[in-house]
Amino acid sequence: MELIDKLSILADAAKYDASCASSGAPKRSSRGKEGLGSSNGMGICHSFTPDGRCVSLLKVLLTNFCLFDCQYCVNRRSSNVPRARFTPEEVVRLTLSFYRRNTISGLFLSSGIIRSSDYTMEQMIQVAKLLRETHQFRGYIHLKAIPEADPKLLEEAGRYADRLSANIELPTLTSLKTLAPEKELGTIHAAMGHMRQGIDAANDDARQDARQSVRSGNSKRQAPRYAPGGQSTQMIVGADATDDRTILKSAQRLYRDFRLKRVYYSAFSPIPERPAGLPQAAPPLLREHRLYQADFLIRSYGFQAEELLNAPGNLDLEIDPKLAWALAHRDDFPVDLNRAEPAMIARVPGIGLRSVQRLVDLRRLRRIRYLDLVALRCRLDTLRPFVITQDYRPTDACQDSTRLRQSLTAPQPAQMALW
Amino acid sequence: MRSAPISSAPCVAWANDFDEWREQARRLLQAGTPPASVTWHDGNDSHDDLFSSPRALENPPSSRKPSSTPIRIGRDQLTLLRNAARYRTQDYDQPRWPLLYQVLWRLARGDAAAAHAADADGRVLHQRWHAVKREAHHMHAFLRFHRRDDALGERYIAWFEPAHDVLDLGAEHFADRMGGSRWIIATPQGGASWNGSVLDYRDPCPATWASEARTAAARTSASHTRVDDDHALWRTYFVSTFNPARLNHKVMTQHMPQRFWRHLSEGDLIPAMEAKARHGGQRLAQESSVGQRRGKALPPRREAQDGARDQAQGVAKS
Ligand code: SF4
Repeated sequence: MELIDKLSILADAAKYDASCASSGAPKRSSRGKEGLGSSNGMGICHSFTPDGRCVSLLKVLLTNFCLFDCQYCVNRRSSNVPRARFTPEEVVRLTLSFYRRNTISGLFLSSGIIRSSDYTMEQMIQVAKLLRETHQFRGYIHLKAIPEADPKLLEEAGRYADRLSANIELPTLTSLKTLAPEKELGTIHAAMGHMRQGIDAANDDARQDARQSVRSGNSKRQAPRYAPGGQSTQMIVGADATDDRTILKSAQRLYRDFRLKRVYYSAFSPIPERPAGLPQAAPPLLREHRLYQADFLIRSYGFQAEELLNAPGNLDLEIDPKLAWALAHRDDFPVDLNRAEPAMIARVPGIGLRSVQRLVDLRRLRRIRYLDLVALRCRLDTLRPFVITQDYRPTDACQDSTRLRQSLTAPQPAQMALW
Repeated sequence: MRSAPISSAPCVAWANDFDEWREQARRLLQAGTPPASVTWHDGNDSHDDLFSSPRALENPPSSRKPSSTPIRIGRDQLTLLRNAARYRTQDYDQPRWPLLYQVLWRLARGDAAAAHAADADGRVLHQRWHAVKREAHHMHAFLRFHRRDDALGERYIAWFEPAHDVLDLGAEHFADRMGGSRWIIATPQGGASWNGSVLDYRDPCPATWASEARTAAARTSASHTRVDDDHALWRTYFVSTFNPARLNHKVMTQHMPQRFWRHLSEGDLIPAMEAKARHGGQRLAQESSVGQRRGKALPPRREAQDGARDQAQGVAKS
């Protein structure tokens, strides 16, 4: 089979993984060195496909042959799809070629399970090793960790990769049992635990190095790197009946227990020859979007999953989770921007993290006025009932939440479209 | 800060770039010349007939005794001024030098709010800097190299049309990224080349660079496959990684403005992909060309497709 045919099959098979980030890698440069590639912590989207997704990495499977039969997966062994397999050298050639043309910032390699989990993991490591050692490639590498593989192999993978990810796919034991009978939640968690240990240990060593290098004046770092971009995972949304509260609570647990960098949510995409028991239609992409918003509030704004959804069920599709929380907690508002703690300002709907910092800076210089919110481009329509400034007090502060909600959602009745 | 003398004698100052502006501004500030007394001319401004004029201060304020206190502004504030100056103003925009001087004047008098994003002046600088950062990022993202080897070996060339003055920001980035590979970046204004160890900036861009780069960038679809066939591989990848079940035109164009499509080798594919997804291809995530190939379901318990048959037991749990 020609390389171009393999590429079309194995890229198509890999696109169900939502992650394509190239951020979080340490600073690397190839200036004046053998080899190719750089990273500076910031990801780059080199293109966008018409689905609005960022193309940052060459995202392919090494092979889409697979021994497993996960029902939601297009590559399951019972699926009637064309199959292909790259050699490690072919993946290397594509990565370097695309990288030189500046169409990607690195590689995200995953694979179906062939022969055994260990063998498959070894094959993926081989690609990363060729790139890093033979070609001195300093771009981004994300490797899929196969949970069932030997922990020693995960350790080796972490030395070449910027990021490792083991996909949880389904957040509950029961759904994993019915839809992915060969996978075990315990094994996935164990693998995440191994990776966390590796990352923590490398970070400790790096800190020690930093201290020592200050003392000895030697700035060269000694500690071996281990997945410096951290680990991530993915959960499929809408393949079964699991609700948003369960999904967010398990995401929260993953952030806490394994210090994941990111949890990705992937709205289940209809696949050819859908097995019985899977939904016919995709869930609304808006649901996926709301989950990302809630996830962001948990990671960066100090919200708890239980605050965003205090009873079983799904997030409100009509309004974003921050506004929903504010409407349910009217007693905490309005917030006086000249006095409130930064963490409370961050809870005001319509004010983002960057604006919080700017408001805190500004009030050290002078009192905050309503026009400052205009200048900072905060979402005025949303925040109006929730803030007090030197020259402004909401007139609708005592309006009840149901009425307020109506007035906040009224101007955009057709908000069901995608973000 | 009241101690600085104020000189209100009107004067005229010229600057082509930030460093020239900084030099002039320093002298004006030391002489205590308020913003309202300075008329600035900008070499970048096409309406300014600069070439007939001397590049210096007219009515230099040096006749007055300059204030001896050195002017100090924060590093962040200097960064803000320098980067906001990279913004190419339109006719309806406030010209850059008077705005920068106005902010500098206020900062030097202790009015730190002048550089804040909520300030009437500071806000404009922040918006400009934001636009500049975004454009530099666009350059890192959407510039495309085309391979054009010469007698010395591997060599890459790119054409890019930046909306603001970010060529050097891009060139530094690519010097880190491309290591020993030689390249040239040509733009409608300046050009930069990298020979594997040294960056060479030219303003204006040499005509030979520009024409070679434009020709390379103008080739799309079929012609790619002849000159640099790896762009054909890239086009295949782009089509295959697209999920037609999630069509979202708005988000795509928000992140990748259409003015860049012309010079992306995948740019001409986008309208067709969207049209196909809208007309039926949207039900499945799979790309239709893959769906048309002969499929292969694998028998249960059959271990490996590449011939190995080990671990009959271990595999199910492996
Ligand atoms: S193991 Fe991975 S590739 Fe194989 S069927 Fe399951 S999800 Fe798909």
